[in-house]
Amino acid sequence: MFDNSDGGVGIELRELTKRYPGQSAPAVDAISLDVAAGELVVFVGPSGCGKTTTMKMINRLIEPTSGEVRIGGEDVLRMRPDDLRRHVGYVIQQIGLFPHLTIAQNIGVVPKLLGWSKTRITDRIDELLGLVGLDAAQFRSRYPRQLSGGQQQRVGVARALAADPPVMLMDEPFGATDPITREHLQNEFLRLQRELRKTIIFVTHDFEEAIRLGDRIVVLREGSHIAQYDRPARILGAPADDYVAGFIGTASTLKRLALITVEDVFPADGGPPPAAGLPEVDTAATLREALDAMVANGTEEVAAVSGDIRHRLTYHDVCQAIQTNGREVEPSGG
Amino acid sequence: MVADTLTGTDGIAAAGVGGAGTARRGRTRFLLRHLGTPAAIAAVLGVLYLWVHGLRLDSIERRTLNYTYMHDRVIEHLKLTVVATVIVIVIAIPLGVIISRPRARWVSPVVLALSNLGQAIPSLGLLVLLTIKFGIGFKIAMFGLVVYAVLPVLRNTMVGIQQVDPTLVEAARGMGMTRMQVLFSVELRLAVPVILAGLRTALVLTVGVATLATFVNAGGLGDMIVNGIKLSRHPVLITGSVLTCCIAFLVDWLGNLAEDVLRPRGLS
Repeated sequence: MFDNSDGGVGIELRELTKRYPGQSAPAVDAISLDVAAGELVVFVGPSGCGKTTTMKMINRLIEPTSGEVRIGGEDVLRMRPDDLRRHVGYVIQQIGLFPHLTIAQNIGVVPKLLGWSKTRITDRIDELLGLVGLDAAQFRSRYPRQLSGGQQQRVGVARALAADPPVMLMDEPFGATDPITREHLQNEFLRLQRELRKTIIFVTHDFEEAIRLGDRIVVLREGSHIAQYDRPARILGAPADDYVAGFIGTASTLKRLALITVEDVFPADGGPPPAAGLPEVDTAATLREALDAMVANGTEEVAAVSGDIRHRLTYHDVCQAIQTNGREVEPSGG
Repeated sequence: MVADTLTGTDGIAAAGVGGAGTARRGRTRFLLRHLGTPAAIAAVLGVLYLWVHGLRLDSIERRTLNYTYMHDRVIEHLKLTVVATVIVIVIAIPLGVIISRPRARWVSPVVLALSNLGQAIPSLGLLVLLTIKFGIGFKIAMFGLVVYAVLPVLRNTMVGIQQVDPTLVEAARGMGMTRMQVLFSVELRLAVPVILAGLRTALVLTVGVATLATFVNAGGLGDMIVNGIKLSRHPVLITGSVLTCCIAFLVDWLGNLAEDVLRPRGLS
């Protein structure tokens, strides 16, 4: 249906509007947005701002009142909704695994709808379970209630990926898990997305999550009006107005530190080797973690370790990084 | 329509939960749970037989307490019950599905009210009223039984489908299942335990109410009970009653068995 030989395809929204009968203000008021192929864009905003409605109009679980949706250049409103949905991955907060089907059958739902052969489906199920870090032999024939919340959400992601859709819609997928599991799932999901490069619309009301996951963030206000659409570092560094600034909340500098890794700021020549006995951080760690190590140990520098190579990272380096970052420097992987 | 549903043993990977050990233990528990009722029924029938056998029966009692007469009454009774149940299934389940659709949701409070009202109407009164209007016979008895049993099944079908987690329906729609596929492979599958519970209630109810068929000349074990009372022949009365009870227990047992076998695996 969509040509996705190289990962995802772009999504375009044009003047997309949803008006419910009997309500004076539209729930979604003429939103226009371009999402580049392979990018993870997070819709963030308060409850009732229309972010979920906007997302559901993309796979037409909610029919738009007016406007246009294009996926990979194709007009979505001219497709059969059921065909469209079979080619758009969909993950919801409640996961929605079918309790009467095994994990394998749950993952195989869309491939089966698409008429894949049994062997192809079985192979795909095993591949996907491996991809989301579940042992296929162990989990294939279990039922959803025999899995923990985190495992179920992984199956939910695997199920949405089953037919290799170029576009995924995710509605607060990690919202119902505990903080530790959530962080774990987020990290795995990022790793997965770096590999797959799907075009993803991700809805959340958790700004921290938006910063963590998004290539770009759309901050929405009432009626799905776009307050700011930019990279996380720039939203933190240069919020468009008071509304966005209010959303970021306090301690935005600390949040920005969490976006920059030690590798990002390291001088090309590596600088002088660190003294012995300093606290160590991995070069893949964020500056926030490095700062944390300094504060915890009462030092003004740490040893950045990557394999056998050790470098010195000082408090001054961190300060400098935060001043240059935000307006010019893009975060890694962005 | 049903053919392209997503469930069934031909599914993608049909395998048991847990190892062979748990499966064997499950089977043993299953047998223990389901062997009690038939054993009890057999024991009761045995005691009844020995008791009646030891009595000196007069000619009136002998006219009813013989194999041919009892066999015919039991068959009549079962026929009333089974035919009524089949009609109830054919009417109530599709109707329950229709009124569970979002567009017809407004009907559901009406059905619930009618259903509760229906249970409160004395069945004998209903049969008498029907007879005054339409006469007597098998069809009238059937009509009364169906009216009586249709409501619990209708109500349970409706409630069974409505209690399916709406997020499952949304997930199914979001993955591109058609409305029919959602109905047959998600909603109805998950409603099976509730629908079966309604059917079981209706069946047991029907066995009891079918004793009243005798008043509209439609036979059944009600003949024995009423004869026993009218002619003051306790062995006849008791035999008729015990047989009715045994059939009710048997039907309930079958219902229980069906619930266990047909309940989708994976539901707790």
